[in-house]
Amino acid sequence: MGYFRSIVQGGAFLLFTGFFVPVHAESSAEAKIKALEARLEQSMALIEQLAAKVSQLEQAGAGVREVQTQSARQSAKIEQIEQHVASLGSGVARHSGDVGLPLHGFADVGLVKSGEDNPVFGKGPKGATVGTVSLYMAPQFTERVRSLVELAFEVDAGGDVETDLERVQIGYAFSDAAIAWLGRFHTPYGYWNTAFHHGAQIQPSLTRPRLIDFEDDGGILPAHTTGLWLTGAVAAESGRFGYDIYLGNAPQINGTAVGSALSAVTTGGFSPALNALGAAGYAGSGTLNMRQAGSDRHRTSTGFNAWLEPRFAKGLRIGLHGLRTTVVDDSADANETRLNMFGGYLTYLGEPWEIVGEYYRFRNRDLSGATGNHGSWAGFAQVGHTFGAWTPYARTERAQLDQDDNYFAVLESGRSYKRSAFGVRYDVDPKAALKVEINRTHQDDLGTAGSDSYVETRAQYSIRF
Amino acid sequence: MSLKLLFRVLAALFGWLCLSAHAAEVFVICNSGVQIAAPEIKEVFTGDKQFAGTLKLNPVDNGPLQAAFLSAVLKLDTLRYNMIWTKKSFREGINPPPVKSGDSDVLDFVRKTPGAIGYVSSAPSGVTVIQKF
Repeated sequence: MGYFRSIVQGGAFLLFTGFFVPVHAESSAEAKIKALEARLEQSMALIEQLAAKVSQLEQAGAGVREVQTQSARQSAKIEQIEQHVASLGSGVARHSGDVGLPLHGFADVGLVKSGEDNPVFGKGPKGATVGTVSLYMAPQFTERVRSLVELAFEVDAGGDVETDLERVQIGYAFSDAAIAWLGRFHTPYGYWNTAFHHGAQIQPSLTRPRLIDFEDDGGILPAHTTGLWLTGAVAAESGRFGYDIYLGNAPQINGTAVGSALSAVTTGGFSPALNALGAAGYAGSGTLNMRQAGSDRHRTSTGFNAWLEPRFAKGLRIGLHGLRTTVVDDSADANETRLNMFGGYLTYLGEPWEIVGEYYRFRNRDLSGATGNHGSWAGFAQVGHTFGAWTPYARTERAQLDQDDNYFAVLESGRSYKRSAFGVRYDVDPKAALKVEINRTHQDDLGTAGSDSYVETRAQYSIRF
Repeated sequence: MSLKLLFRVLAALFGWLCLSAHAAEVFVICNSGVQIAAPEIKEVFTGDKQFAGTLKLNPVDNGPLQAAFLSAVLKLDTLRYNMIWTKKSFREGINPPPVKSGDSDVLDFVRKTPGAIGYVSSAPSGVTVIQKF
């Protein structure tokens, strides 16, 4: 019974829902449809908005890509311009001959502690020093006309600044084998004098060998000549040959003064004329003057240098050199000496070795007196070895100079000597070098003062630009 | 052991090939009026040879290609090259070759200038190629 009742109730419920629910559903469906339509419209509006936004974003994205592309193009252009400017800058720096005048130079400063102390030369220097500022330029006017001008500011032993027109050369190049220069130039004997001269930064050692020092610095040869210089080089199967032939104003010995320090300590050992003066003599008081403005007592100086760089030994140069001139001094005796120098030299500049050796043999003739011929000699050898930025070096020098020869007797620097030098060069960068050197000098020909040995220590910081 | 060796040889060969493939080509060129041989190129660019007969030579450097040229042709690095010219200028009063901004500048200069010698990175026309490196 209960089961039957349940069936009836269920059937009644089904009938009720079957007849009445659809009626109610019809009315709610319309509302729903309207609601859906409204929502659809909203959705459509939203979609349209979204589509518009997407479109905007796409346009914006395209703009960004375009901006990025433009930016990349501009970067590339900037790089090109930078390279171009760098190249132009480099070109201008290296060949401003097209647009201006290139000026180069050398400068050096340093420290010195000299133990020299003798009656002839007195006490050596100690303390900080300023070396030389050398400025040079090489304007080329046409393909064949060229020039070289060098101005040097030097500090002398007394601390005064001296200005030297080191070189004023105007030349004409006929070919590689013949280049003619007229003016004041570095006298082309040996290798060192023309290769390094005032270029402290490119010079392998701190000091120059004393025997080829500058005229006002203790040298015994004219480091400069004013006149005509013909130079050239030719390449051949066996190597490269070069030569220098020059003639110019003969140097004179100026600045002689009676009662010199050397005469005071030795009254004999010189030529008879000088010996007769005793302590009132002028021995050792003069310095070489290159007579770059000519002279009322003009004499001519001639010289040559011939060298070979064989192909079988790259870096090697072997040469012969000679100089003949007549030197007059400004003493009351007006001594006149025919200076005859002949010698040879050898350089080897093949890394890591740097070797320079020069030999000078003198056969001087007394033209104003009756002392005849006098033989002397001088030379040096220097060896360096490069280890990266470091180049330790050693040098030995010797000059055996005849004091009967008026040329050496009258010159302040005409004393015999021996020197050993050891040093090290450190290349701070390609344009700056730091050097330290210690040398020991044994000074002879100091008369009753005997000889003097002393040690000198130097440091130098040099640059080129 | 032999496989390792073979591997190393192949690796070295591969590396060499890669390097070779990326090494810049250098064409040393001159004005059509210049008579000069390949062995003389170094003498020209280091200032030892300034004339070819009676003709004054005008070497020019190519800025972007200079390092490759110095290495491949002169067997020098830039520092050594600059040092050579510092000494040359100080001693002999001559100036280093001017530096051009690139191939087109060099080509233009070499075509127009009697005695000109330069170098470029691609095969040129209108000039004489002395040698390709």
